Order: sequence, then C-alpha cells, then structure tokens
Amino acid sequence: MRGVSAETREVLRLAQPSPRQFAPGLIMAVVTGLAAVGLLATAAWLITRASDMPPIMYLNVAIVGVRFFALSRAGFRYGERLASHDAAFRSLARLRVAIYRRLVPLAPDGLAGTRRGDLLSRLVSDVDQLQDLPLRVVSPALTAVIVAALSVTTVWIILPLAGVTLLISLILAAVVGSLVQSRISSAVDEEIAPRRAALDDAVMDTLGRIDVLTAFSALDSRVATIQAADASLRTAQLRRALGSGVVAALVSLLAGLATVAALYYGVPALVFVANSNEIPGLGWGVFTGPYLAMVVLIPIAVFEVFQSLPQALSAWRVVRTSAERVASVAPTTVPPEIPGFVTVDVAGSAGTRRDSTRSHLSVFTGLTLDNAGASWPGATSPALNGFSLTLNPGDRLLLEGTSGSGKTTLAHLLVRFLEFTGTYRINNVDVHSLDADDVRSVVGLVEQSPHLFDDSIRQNLVFALPDATDAQLHSVLVRVGLDAWVAERGGLDSPVGERGTLVSGGQAQRLGLARALLHNFPVLILDEPTANVDPGFADELVRDILTAASDTNRAIILISHVPVDPALVTVRMSLSSVDSASVSRTTVG
Amino acid sequence: MATSPLDPRLVRYASAARVFLVVGAFLALAQTATTLLFAWGVANAVGLAVAGAPFAEVLHYVVMVAAAVLARSAVLWLNDVVAARGAASVKSQLRLKLMQALSKLGPSWLSTRNTVHLTTVVGRGLEALDKYFANYVPQLILTAIATPIIVVILFTQDLFTGFVVLITLPLIPLFMALIGRATKAVQAQQWRQLTKLSSGFLDVVEGLSTLTIFGRARRQEQRIASLTNEYRLRTMKVLRMSFLSGFVLELVASLSVALVAVSIGVRLVDGTLTLAIGLFVLLLTPEAYLPLRNVGTQFHAAAEGVAAAEDVFEVLDAASGMSSGRSRKQGALDSSMTDSLGVRRDDQEASANGREFMVTLSGMAPATLMTDIPAFTVRGLTVAHGDIVVLDRLTTSFPAGSLTVITGPSGVGKTTLFSALLGFVKYTGDIGWGDTFFTGAAAARADISWASQKPSLVAGTIAANVSLGQPEVDPAVLAQSLTLAAAESLDPELLLGVGGSGLSGGQAQRVAIARAYYRAIVCKTPVIILDEPTSALDAVTEDLVISGARHFVDEGRTVIIVSHRRSVIAAADVILDLTPPVASSLLATDARAAQIHEAEVSA
Repeated sequence: MRGVSAETREVLRLAQPSPRQFAPGLIMAVVTGLAAVGLLATAAWLITRASDMPPIMYLNVAIVGVRFFALSRAGFRYGERLASHDAAFRSLARLRVAIYRRLVPLAPDGLAGTRRGDLLSRLVSDVDQLQDLPLRVVSPALTAVIVAALSVTTVWIILPLAGVTLLISLILAAVVGSLVQSRISSAVDEEIAPRRAALDDAVMDTLGRIDVLTAFSALDSRVATIQAADASLRTAQLRRALGSGVVAALVSLLAGLATVAALYYGVPALVFVANSNEIPGLGWGVFTGPYLAMVVLIPIAVFEVFQSLPQALSAWRVVRTSAERVASVAPTTVPPEIPGFVTVDVAGSAGTRRDSTRSHLSVFTGLTLDNAGASWPGATSPALNGFSLTLNPGDRLLLEGTSGSGKTTLAHLLVRFLEFTGTYRINNVDVHSLDADDVRSVVGLVEQSPHLFDDSIRQNLVFALPDATDAQLHSVLVRVGLDAWVAERGGLDSPVGERGTLVSGGQAQRLGLARALLHNFPVLILDEPTANVDPGFADELVRDILTAASDTNRAIILISHVPVDPALVTVRMSLSSVDSASVSRTTVG
Repeated sequence: MATSPLDPRLVRYASAARVFLVVGAFLALAQTATTLLFAWGVANAVGLAVAGAPFAEVLHYVVMVAAAVLARSAVLWLNDVVAARGAASVKSQLRLKLMQALSKLGPSWLSTRNTVHLTTVVGRGLEALDKYFANYVPQLILTAIATPIIVVILFTQDLFTGFVVLITLPLIPLFMALIGRATKAVQAQQWRQLTKLSSGFLDVVEGLSTLTIFGRARRQEQRIASLTNEYRLRTMKVLRMSFLSGFVLELVASLSVALVAVSIGVRLVDGTLTLAIGLFVLLLTPEAYLPLRNVGTQFHAAAEGVAAAEDVFEVLDAASGMSSGRSRKQGALDSSMTDSLGVRRDDQEASANGREFMVTLSGMAPATLMTDIPAFTVRGLTVAHGDIVVLDRLTTSFPAGSLTVITGPSGVGKTTLFSALLGFVKYTGDIGWGDTFFTGAAAARADISWASQKPSLVAGTIAANVSLGQPEVDPAVLAQSLTLAAAESLDPELLLGVGGSGLSGGQAQRVAIARAYYRAIVCKTPVIILDEPTSALDAVTEDLVISGARHFVDEGRTVIIVSHRRSVIAAADVILDLTPPVASSLLATDARAAQIHEAEVSA
C-alpha cells in the first residue's frame, strides 16, 4: 500500500465488498485451492501406500478423499466464481452511487480536467475497473497466502526440513517475483505507455483526416510517421519481453527446486518399517514412503495455486491507478470556483426558508448582474470580469463575441455552475442567499450540445416535467418544429440512440429546447445553438428557436458568435475578449 | 474465431506469425520433454526410495529432476520472449499493411466505415494480440503437440490410464461447445439490455449537467443503484451459464485424475503395476489436460485480439480485392485516348471545337492564368450513395479568374461535388478544362487546393499544418498564406495537439484555409475550393477571409466556395444555386443543367 494517498484508500475502501459479502467467495476459493493440493497429496499417499499391498480397507479413506477433493475442486470453484462476482457487482452499485454523489456538486465545471468528453467515460470505466479489486486482487492474493500457509504447515509437520524449504521457496517466489514484476511494470508505465499513446495519436490523426492528407499528397509521409511510432513501440516492447518471462520462469524454477529439496531431504529421512501391514493409515511421527510421496508432490500443487499471486499483483497496479484517477477526478472537496451548496434540510427551519425564497421566485420580475466576474477551476485569471447586465421579462438578448470572450462563462455563472464575484440578483434577491437549485428553477440553459439520454424521446422530455401529459408533449414538439419528425420516427417512444446518435445536431437542439420549454424556465439561455448544426440549417434553427421560446414573461439570452438576424432580438450585447467591461449595449427596435 | 481456433489469414498476412508458429512448435516439444523428464525423475526417485534403495542410488534421479526444472524454466522464459517478439512483429506487419491498404482504398472507402472504430483497431485493438500470442497460441500449440505425445506415453505405460484420458479428453471441447452454444443463446437474449445497462451509468454521468439544470441530479442516485443491481442480476444469469464451461473443464480433469489414482492404487495392491510407473502416470495425467484447459481459460482474453485482427483482415481483403477487381487504377490514364500531358481528348467536343488538346495548367506561373484560358468544367457529373442520387448529372463550368459561390439547402450535394472533384467518391461524368476532360478518378486532384468543412488539422506546429504535404516550409509563403486567411495573428510555431487541439473552432478553420492557400501558391494549383470556410467566424474576420480569396481570383485562379453566409454570397462573381427546381422530377430525362446566376460583383 506504499504511496497510496488517503483519498485513493477511501475509493479503494468503497470498492471492496463488506466482509459478510466477501467471505463466502473467499472461503470457497480457499477450499478450491486446498482441494487441488489435497487431491494430489491424497493421490500420492494412496498410490505409495498401495504399493505396500495393504488390505484394501486401509485405503478406503484415501480413495474417498481423492474422489471428494476431485469433486469439490470443480464444485467450489464454480461456487466461488459466482459468489465473488456477485459480491463485486454489489459493491460496484455502492461505489457508483458514492462516486456519483461526489460528482453532483462538482458537475459540470468542477470536474477537474473533464471538460473533454472522453475523460468522463474514462472516469466511468475507471470506476468499473475497481470491480477487479475484490475479484482479481484481494481474493486471489488471500487465497494464495492461506493455501500456501496451510500446505507449508502440513509439510512441516510431516518433515520439518521440507516444510522450511517449501516456505523459503514460496517467499522467494513472492518477493523476487513481485520485485521483477514491479520493475517491468514501471518500465511499461514510463516507456511503453507514452509510445503506445504516440502511436494511437499518429493513427488517429491519419485515419481521421485521410481525405485531407490525400488531397495534400501527405499520406505517405504520415504512414511513415506511424511506422516510426510503431517501430519505437516495438523496440520498447521487445526490451521488456526479455524481462517479462522472468517471473513465470522464476516461479517455475522455485517450484521445481522445492520438489528437488523435498527429495533431497526426504529420501535419506525415510524410515523403513519392516512390517508395513501393521502400520495404520495415519502414522504421524513415522516418516514412511507414502509421506515422502506427499512432501514431494505437495509443492507442485501449491505452486499452481500460488501462481495467482503475481497476477494479483499486476491486477493491483491497474486497480490502484484507476483508484488514483477516480480520487483525483472526483475529489471529496469542491473547489472555490464552484458554488457550494446551501445545505437545506428537507424538514425543519431551512425548509421553511426555502419555501419562502421559492415564493419570492415564483414570478420572475428581473435579473441583474453588476460588475460580475467568474473563473474556471484551476485557471489563473478570470474568464469574465466586470460584466453588468439587466434583464427584464420579455427581453430577447443577443450576446455576441469572439470565442474565448467569456460567453459560455457567463452562461455558467448565471445557472450557478460557476461561483461569481460582484453582484447577481434575481427579483432583487441576492443569489448568494439562494440555493443553486432554486436559481436554476428560474434560469435555465440549453447547452451547446444538449445531452440526450439513451432512452425514448418521451423519457428525454418528461424528466423536465414528470407529470406532463402526452398532449403537453405533443404541443411542445409542435412549438419546436419536431412534431413531424417525431411522428416519422415512430412516435414518442422511439429511441434517440446512445448519446443521441440517431438524432442530428439541429434536432438535438430542438429537443433540448422542448424540454426547457416544458420546464418553463422564466429565464432561458441558449448557448450557441448552431455550433453543431450544418451551416445550411443554422439560420432557420435560430429563427425557429427564438420564435418558439418567445414569451412576454420570459427573458431569453441567445449566445452566438455567428451573425443573427437583428429582427429576432430586442437587445444586443457584445463581449470582447480583451476586457469584458467594454460591453456595448445596443437596443434594437 | 468462430470456426477455426487459428485464423489462417493471420499466417497469410503476417509472415512473422509463421516464424512464431515454427519456433513455438519446437519450444512446445522442448517443454513436453521437460515435463516427461520431471515426472519420470520424481516417480523413479520416490519409487526407488520407497523400495529401500540408498540415497546414492536415488541421487541421479534427483539430478534428473533438477535438470528438468532448470530446463523447464529456460523454456518458459524463451516461450515468453518468443511470444512477445512474435506479437510485436505481427502487430507491426499488420499495422503497416493496414495503413498501406487504407491509403490504397482511399477516403471514399473509408467514408463508408466507422473511422473511430478503425482507429481503435489500428492502435489499441492490435495491442490485444499480445495476450493472444503470449497466452493463447502457445497453449494451442502445446495442445497440438504435448497432448498427443503424453497420451501415447500414457498408453505405453498404463493402458487403462491411456483409455481414461483418451475418452475424457474429447469431452472437454464437446461440453465447452455445448455450453458455449447455450451461453450464446442466453447472451443473445440479454445482450441488448446488458449493453444498455452497462453504459447506463456513463449516460447518467455524461448527462449530469443537463440533470443539474433541471434539478434532477440527486434523484438519479436511486436510478444508478437499481440500474447496477439490474445489471448484476442479468450478468449473473449469463455468468451462471458461462462459468459452467470452466466447471466442466475442472471437473473432467480432476475426476480423471481421481479415477486414474484410484485405479492405480487398486492395481498396485494387486501387484500388477510398479510404484514408479504408478506415480509417473499420476503426475502425467493432469499434464494431458493442462494445455486444453489453458486454451479454454485464455479463450476470451485471446478473442479480443482475434476480433481486432479480423477487422484488419477485412480491410486487407477489401484492398486486395480492389486491386484485382478493378480494371482501371486510380489516376491511371486511358492510353489510347490520352496525350503526353495526361489529358484525354474528348471525341465529340474535340471534333466540334477543333481543339486538339489543352495544356495542363499546374506547371504555369499564375500570371499567365488569365481569362482566355478554358474554364474548369464538369459535365454530367453524377454521384450516388447506394440508391440515393446525391448529385444528378450536373453540368457547369467555373470560369478562371472568378469567385463562384455554391449555395443551396443542406443535402443538395455541395460537399459531394467537392468530394467528386477530389476523387473521394465514385462518380460518373467528366471533369476537365474547357472541353477537354481528365481520365481517371482522381486526376483533377493535382489541380486543386482544398479547405474542407472540418479543419482536420494534425498534431504539430501551425507551420507544419499549413505546409502539409510539402517537404520544406517556405517562410515567406507561410506568412503570406496565414495573412490571406486572416490568421496572421497566430504563431506559426505554436504546437498543436492531436486533431489540432489547442485552437478554437474559428482559428482552426483559418489555419485550414491557409493550408489550402499554401498549396495553391507552392503547387500553383489553378483551382481553390473552400467548403464553408467562414461558418465559425465573426463578420469582421469573414470579410478578411473573403478579400484573401479575392487575391487569388485576381491572380486568375478559379475559386469555388460553398457557403450560406450572406456576405460570402454577396462577394461572388458567379452564384451556382444547387437548389433543385420544384419540378425537377419532370426534367429527370434531361441532364439537369445547374442554374447559374450571374451576380453583380460587389465592390
């Protein structure tokens, strides 16, 4: 556990099932391992004992033992795999909920470095990877140690010297094996992983733009680049290959040496009992032929079980890395740039306060920003500074500006994804005295690429208004101009596809708007609705969206860096990246 | 690996695999020898000792065991080294062949495939072959070599054991196949739901900001818990079936050992067998099952690598099919009708106009490209994606020294027209200069500089991106290109990440335009085509880009822009509106001439 931080340990603790859930799998795993050792040991005893030609009744116990171990080895293995997988899945459910709880106050802007979409999926696969902690790390490691310890004890009772050599070879295998393994693994981390990433990048850059590369006759040189990256990866992998086989060879060598040592000490120690027929089956203290066979063969079986230890160690490295990433992406503390939650009890005094603020917000009368600013977590300078704004019901504000001028920052400030400096008041109430969720009951946002859940069109709408009737859903679809499209797709219950793959950018925008309209936000921010839309549809989409959302009681903020027909808006503001204070405000019409 | 355990195409496409298989076979033989030696030594040492022999007599068997142990370790180590080498060489070979095949198949083929998936296959996917070569194939070889040898030796030592092993061994693949089929049926039933459930958590996490906006984030905890629980229940249902195969493997192997041990014991009591033989057979029996068991347990780990390899083979098959199946290669010239300059005379037009041929313009200085030269022309250009005709017999020409803006609603085939000009899609009809047309699908490409709708930048400096495809960077041309693309404020030495990350959408778009300009200047291409060049730009920058394009028009080049933006359309010399006429179906029999509107040149 060297070098594992407290946060990582906390994540690992969440991934490990409770002892009650973990125990059945572990016990069965140990029984499986013991059965494997027991099968060979009993069989060896049986055969050697039989060579003395005793009456067959002396062998009956051993015969039953051999059959029992053979059956239980397979049976308990099956049970163990089921029990341990079940326990791992159960703790996965717990882990997912716990991590999700951490994400909720952070999302979306506090998720360190997760603004790239693939990092979120990385986080989720890391969380799922943690299932391996009980399955492939803890259980096999404990099993190997327990089975080895019991076997060593047995051998030690029969022939102490053989027990000691078996113990020494097991410890050597574990220590040297894990040392070599960790050296190889760190070589992989340091040397191979970056080369592999470089190769991936080169491939991605080439295949993703093969049309451009072809048109610029640059494809051959790109293929050469890939070849070079591949050669560099291959060199590193071949260098590693010389070392990677060492672990398996070493374990095999030590296993064999344990057998050789058992022979070396066992054969001279053998006591010849003149009349073996009179010696009953179990004769502790008298080291006879059958026991020689046992101490010689037990190491073979023990090392077979013990082989899972190096594998558990390499699984541990993977699990630990995942846990570290999870701990860093989903920390328990919220950075200062993200609004902390005003803790509100469901019942009690705070609940009353909440009800009263809610009633303050029930009718939207106006929103003001004065000298407001905001920063992204980890950024050195604020992305928005000294911005002032007054927004009244019925306003349609067009917010223009080049990319990087702070338009999205403003949107995230307004919906309390980001903490702000300066003053922000809704209905003349200081927003700092409000719960973020209450602010968001007034100010809504349709994101640049609205997330569509892998579910039906209906489910993607109703979470905005859980008790919406079909008539309401249809009327909102008519308003955003999707009624014909939905009907064509097969109605409200047709799927949108994973991450909305069955839906184009423009349709996703319209669905995003539809649910915002269902939720009936008094203030609605539309962040670059045409960013992911075919340019040919952009103008039409903006016109449709503004028409659908317009309402005398609603204020709309349209963020756009591309020109918008001035007739569609009532107010225009422009943010410049140099200094957001130099906001120009033009009232249209 | 549906039909055969070892895909023959692996050997066919990757010669390194052949070497690996041969070396692996020798190593398997060596490994079998050490196994036999070890068992023989242990059995005889114990047998002699129990029979009362002194240690000195037993010693040479102990030495034999020690030698076997050393040799076995060495073979194991060699096995790993050989496997890693084999995997690395095969991966490199497949990767190179795949890239060559993709270059050959070109963008038109690639556009019909999932690029993201292929990228994963070429990169990480092929890395999964490591496990295939390190764990699966050696066991497969061992099964083919060690198992028969051990069975034969068991027969020579003890007939009964030989029969037990011979009868039970086939049970393993038989039961595995049966259980595999049953599992497949269960999985097929559960598959859709399992995939959905397993991605459900990601779906919620990715949608977290949306959920937060609607105040629904906290309510999802319950959903995640029940989703994961559902996932557990369904997966366990599948696992109960699929773990059965492991159960059968273990059961057959260990029950056979038990059967053999008990039978040997009984026959030893009878005195019909010696102890040394009995122990030897006991030690050897599990070794007969071991490789097959390992093949079974490595099956899934290996399947990933094989799946990647199969994706690669599909591409390689397609490429080899293409070269043999096509009569005319890309860009090749139809010799009977082509003059030395690579331009085909068009019979009908040539006779009508009396022109013998025309000169390729790419070699000439821009100053000579003036309006008396023929216009860049397409005739009867038709492109179909499957059954859908995207571009229907388009005939038009783009005069030199003019700015043509193509407009029309989405899906009308504007980008497709560019793809056809660049030879990225299959088309019928002709492309050429005036009334002289190219032969070969991609022949016009050399005359064109193109800025695609997606910037498609690559990792490297901005300078490297702008001078893409040119061996050297000319700083003067670089600066000029960036200026004409309104991107002079960008540092040419700025290092971009993968996919050109590090620039905003508008900046990337301008770098892509500069890239086209650079090629136009250095390669003196007479045609520049820009696809939605200003979609991410503000109005001021847009005007700068338009005046940059105007510079090339004034040099006498043909500039074609697809755009919806008003200011771009206003700057056009010629507007080509591809909006289908209302009664287009009535005109279907006639080649549809595009409506060309002469627009007033806006000053």
